[in-house]
Amino acid sequence: MTNTAQTIDPALYAAVTDAIRAEAKKVLEAGAAAAVVGWQAGRRQGTAMPAIITDPAKVAELIFSPACVNNLALYLSKAKKEIRARGRIAIVVKGCDLKALVGLMGENQLKREDLHVIGVVCAGVQRAGAAKDIPLSEETIAGKCRECTVHTPEGADVTVGTLPDLPHFTPVESEELSRLEAMTPAQRWSFWKEHFARCIRCYACRQVCPFCYCEQCLCDRNRPQAVETTPRPAGNMAWHIVRAMHLAGRCAGCAECERVCPMDIPLNLLNRKMAKELKELYGHEAGFEVKEKGPLAQYREDDDQSFIK
Amino acid sequence: MHAHKENHAFEPKIVAFVCTWCTYAGADLAGTARLQYPANTRVVKFPCTGRIDPVFILRAFQKGADGVLVSGCHPGDCHYMAGNFHARRRFAAFRALLDFIGVDLNRLQFSWVSAAEGGKWVEVATELTERVRAMGPMREFRELETEEQWSGAIDTPELQAAYEAIP
Repeated sequence: MTNTAQTIDPALYAAVTDAIRAEAKKVLEAGAAAAVVGWQAGRRQGTAMPAIITDPAKVAELIFSPACVNNLALYLSKAKKEIRARGRIAIVVKGCDLKALVGLMGENQLKREDLHVIGVVCAGVQRAGAAKDIPLSEETIAGKCRECTVHTPEGADVTVGTLPDLPHFTPVESEELSRLEAMTPAQRWSFWKEHFARCIRCYACRQVCPFCYCEQCLCDRNRPQAVETTPRPAGNMAWHIVRAMHLAGRCAGCAECERVCPMDIPLNLLNRKMAKELKELYGHEAGFEVKEKGPLAQYREDDDQSFIK
Repeated sequence: MHAHKENHAFEPKIVAFVCTWCTYAGADLAGTARLQYPANTRVVKFPCTGRIDPVFILRAFQKGADGVLVSGCHPGDCHYMAGNFHARRRFAAFRALLDFIGVDLNRLQFSWVSAAEGGKWVEVATELTERVRAMGPMREFRELETEEQWSGAIDTPELQAAYEAIP
């Protein structure tokens, strides 16, 4: 059945909020988790921000709304050691965030038994810069949510919420990807050159990525310097190519990099393209099951080598 | 005696990343056998193709290479057992990425050349050199290299007005 109203019923988010609070209270009181990583209301009306709750009396601060865009898996990566040091952690995840958690487990960054995963059924979240406090619609929903295949997270300890009927959204991202693929190399080069020339090298894309947890990033090193660090077009191009290459086969498409980009560079197009290529070449899809090795860390003797002379 | 040497308007710079066990030895064999091939190739020796990070290829293009050749042991012959199998997957992904960014893949050649294949090394190096010569210089990365920091450009009327308003 299709939703004729073309908006997403906000009742889901209220129901999920109540269920998250109840579950958080339960695990904190039982001592099953030392802290709950979730979202709380932001200071401005209709916004949300990540929250770490350790006191059962404060669980009422937790919320779930279309403004809960953050991928909380970030807070369990090696880049945020102090949170994991608290002990067993409960974490609230949307379907897309769970894929990042699964990836981190595959890379031996997390152990499943150290986590209490509270999965939330998610109908979608807002795109960056959308008007707050209105039901999600074609204008306000994030690009990744238009084509979401993981509304209901699989494999969480507890999953809360029931998915309402969703309206049909235009798949903007895959349309853009096909448009780029149909271009000539020279057209694609000028497309990316223009986008990357705007980059200010704030590295927000790196800071927000659950998979960018290296203690020393290759791109910060000098002697030898692999990638120029000044925000010049040459270094920018190299940074974005290296970033896409290092995420190939690992990125599960939470699109946080694109959301936080202050210069609106369509970074998720690169991630999606690499995910698509690795699926075609090696049948690999990131984030659905815990795999010890990603597609670029293993091989088969009969891999395609038609491009090698 | 040397064959007649042709003068070309454009001599491409080719950087060859090779593994020390197979292709380097193969190129060495081509040398000791006095086989002729264009002198445009600059060979950089690595322990294994598995050591060749895609960022090296990127940097070669950025610093002025017109073509890049990556060559190592045939599958199954790797001195480290599986280095070239890993490299094969990595380069397949990297090629796809470069293509999506808009780099002409004709400038990038991968090959397997064993220590006994001096002739094949000559063939691969000659073919890439001539192909890149026909394509002309690699302008894309070199232009990027000379472009200035984005914030330095006064490229809109508003910025121009603000710049002129500075007392």
